[in-house]
Amino acid sequence: MMLLLDMVTTAAILFIVAAGLLAIFGVLKIINFAHGAWLTIGAYCAVATAGLGLNPWLALPIAFAVGAVLGGITELVIVRPLYRRPLDAILATWGLGIVIGQLITLWFGRDVQFTPNLLSGTVDVFGVGYSLYRLFAVAAALVIGLAFTFLLEGTRLGLSAQAVIMNEMLARALGIDTARVRLATFMIGTGLAALAGVLLTPLTSIDPNMGVAWLIGSFMLVMVAGSSFSTLAIACLVFGGAQVLVSTFVSPIFGGITVAVLCALVLRISPKGFARA
Amino acid sequence: MLESRSTPPRVWLFAALALATAVVVIIGPTLFDRFTLNVLTRSMIYAMLAVTVDILWGYTGILTFGQAAFFGTGAYASAMVLSHLGASPALMVLALALAIIVPVLLGAFVGWLSFGHGSTPLYATVISLVVPIVVTQLVFSGGVWTGSSSGLVGYSGLPLGLPGYFRLTGICLIVTTLVALVFTRSDAGKLLVAIRDNEARCAYLGLDPQRLKIVLTTILAGVAGVAGFLYANASGVVAPENTGFVFGTEIVIWTALGGRGTIIGPVMGAIGIDYLSAQLSGDLPFLWNLVVGSLFVVMIILLPNGLAQLARMVLPRRNGEQASQPGCPTLTAEPAGNGSQPGNRVLAVSGLGKSFGSLQVLQGIDLDVHPGELVSLVGPNGAGKTTLLRCLSDGTEATTGTVTIAGQDISGMTPDEIVALGVGRKFQVASVFDSLTVADCLRMARASRKAPSLLRRSAMLGLPAAAADILRSTGLDRMLGRPVSLLSHGQKQSLELAMVVALEPKLILLDEPTAGLTKVERTTIGATLQKLTGELGFAAILVEHDLDFVRNISTRIVVLHQGKLVLDGSVDQVVNSEVVRTIYSGGAHA
Repeated sequence: MMLLLDMVTTAAILFIVAAGLLAIFGVLKIINFAHGAWLTIGAYCAVATAGLGLNPWLALPIAFAVGAVLGGITELVIVRPLYRRPLDAILATWGLGIVIGQLITLWFGRDVQFTPNLLSGTVDVFGVGYSLYRLFAVAAALVIGLAFTFLLEGTRLGLSAQAVIMNEMLARALGIDTARVRLATFMIGTGLAALAGVLLTPLTSIDPNMGVAWLIGSFMLVMVAGSSFSTLAIACLVFGGAQVLVSTFVSPIFGGITVAVLCALVLRISPKGFARA
Repeated sequence: MLESRSTPPRVWLFAALALATAVVVIIGPTLFDRFTLNVLTRSMIYAMLAVTVDILWGYTGILTFGQAAFFGTGAYASAMVLSHLGASPALMVLALALAIIVPVLLGAFVGWLSFGHGSTPLYATVISLVVPIVVTQLVFSGGVWTGSSSGLVGYSGLPLGLPGYFRLTGICLIVTTLVALVFTRSDAGKLLVAIRDNEARCAYLGLDPQRLKIVLTTILAGVAGVAGFLYANASGVVAPENTGFVFGTEIVIWTALGGRGTIIGPVMGAIGIDYLSAQLSGDLPFLWNLVVGSLFVVMIILLPNGLAQLARMVLPRRNGEQASQPGCPTLTAEPAGNGSQPGNRVLAVSGLGKSFGSLQVLQGIDLDVHPGELVSLVGPNGAGKTTLLRCLSDGTEATTGTVTIAGQDISGMTPDEIVALGVGRKFQVASVFDSLTVADCLRMARASRKAPSLLRRSAMLGLPAAAADILRSTGLDRMLGRPVSLLSHGQKQSLELAMVVALEPKLILLDEPTAGLTKVERTTIGATLQKLTGELGFAAILVEHDLDFVRNISTRIVVLHQGKLVLDGSVDQVVNSEVVRTIYSGGAHA
């Protein structure tokens, strides 16, 4: 039972972390290697919120706003010239990640920071005590997933984004302002990444390089998922589950690379990952 | 931009540079203090890695973070031998051998994983991220064998002392750099650029780009392993960070800042940045990384070819655009290969079908082509003409039926294997290598027959007479040294045709070779095709919309309509048939 809960909650956390990256990759076909830095920005938003003595839950909207605004600037200045050079975009965003990491270090110092818990304690699930916060993560993942589905299916922006995904040339010819769709998508993606950073704070230590550890896992999941949130959810459940199993029964060290290795193998067998299934 | 012909001044320049560097390396220990010597030794080892990344990424277009893993494996293999077994001369040899063999094996595996038939460039990058992470985790879980998170330290290495290590790494770096320079400027080195420019064209010239990339990855993994061996000895410590993906990104950053695709640039970039980092990071620890990071971002956006590009813009160009001067090869005739026997079928297609899901694009196609025939394939848009050509040149395409070329069933064969059977394919949009010169493009077409030199840039360009004729009739023979990017649309089409003919195929597939050409260019291509088939015994299948053109040059016309072959006959039969008139006037359209 415990194992099952661990598997589901791990999948939920992976989903939260990867969602922002997927939003950007799905529409823009650009891999935002500064994703880890945005997670860090989000986490430090939580630190700053706590420092100001505000309610820790306020960190969520603050982080989303900060992440989105910084993301908007990034799209305009750095990403926009590189849409035709996707490999260079990986490098430029990685460089940006270094810059952000250093700026955070200069501002907050390189020590590990702590924030007040958003939710503490355990609840009884079928007779076992389980961390309330990890269960909350599942709810948060569901909310993010559903919000995205609504955004894509139910709004004008979502419709335009889908058009851009399918055929950008045609979308532009039909009068969709693709540049604006891209800007909005990038801002939502980075906002989400920062939000995920806040949600991570009770689970990991906060330091200027915390994002890098999460980057590769989410990157691999997104490669497998393609551009759909439902396939991302499946990928998170499958690979997150596998990660928990390997950590429990083999070794935690190998658990840490399970997601990356399994995703690489899946991509070798089926280059489009789960997208076709 | 990346081209520089190895005219004599260049050779002397390299030699002088190498000599000057060698002098610095030899007398260095008497000039620098201990700290500088230590740092520069490390920087020069890193520079060797930057050279390998440059060959993979700058020349071949494979963005890789994986060199760190091969470097780390080499370093750990050496350090583990030296720590656990000892440092006797025999064991030192074992350490070096393992530092090469283990990364080479890993490299071969990674190459096989990264470069399957049809894998994307992004996938190779993905794998190159995963490999260092896996290696790092293996190091962490290695217990006393790898020293886990604290690494291995306190073993004895080569008895050289600081000056000795400095000289050894310096010499290794010079050798690596020179070999890389000679190789990338050789005929074989142009292959890398060709793969980067246009992998599909490489495959359709009978080359196997995926296998070449695997070989390249394997060899360069070995070079990174040697660098790892030097590092393990010179620094006396190996740590998990040496194998990690963050280190892998650093090597890419040095390469990018120095100038990808120049070899010298990345060497300078690695040494300069690593040395400055060591000097400055004491005073400005975080600021320095901030500066490097910002510089890197700006560079990628504005100056993708790095500082070398800047240097090239500032320095006056020495051998400018002297298109057909010394570097330009002379055309020589190659003896014609064995032509196909007249009478035997070159191509036999029976019951060929192709469907995408439930959509049937081609069905029940039967077609025979004999040497000397010029068969035109006509039909309205969407009739399946290009799909048919694809099925003939890639054995993995057809869904049903058989295609036999020169007596051999091609099902399951990759394009390069089919080229070896004697099929040349010319694409609709001219598919050539934009960063190469005309002569280099043509040389690529011969590379599958005669392995290009790894060392030299040949002054000759041997071509079969038929290909040379095309060059002469289109004036391309006077532009052999010109970069392809400067050619006109029509010249590129002619160049591609010459490349395909230079393969000496038995069967040429042409997809609208005259699209977008002027009247004069059309006539030239038409005459060339007639000569190739009528006089030289090639067989050709031509997809074409221009019925007048088709009528003038074809020996036979085949009409495709909605995926079926509706007519196969002589020019007169087809042109005067009722069916064709109906199809083209739209009557038969659903």
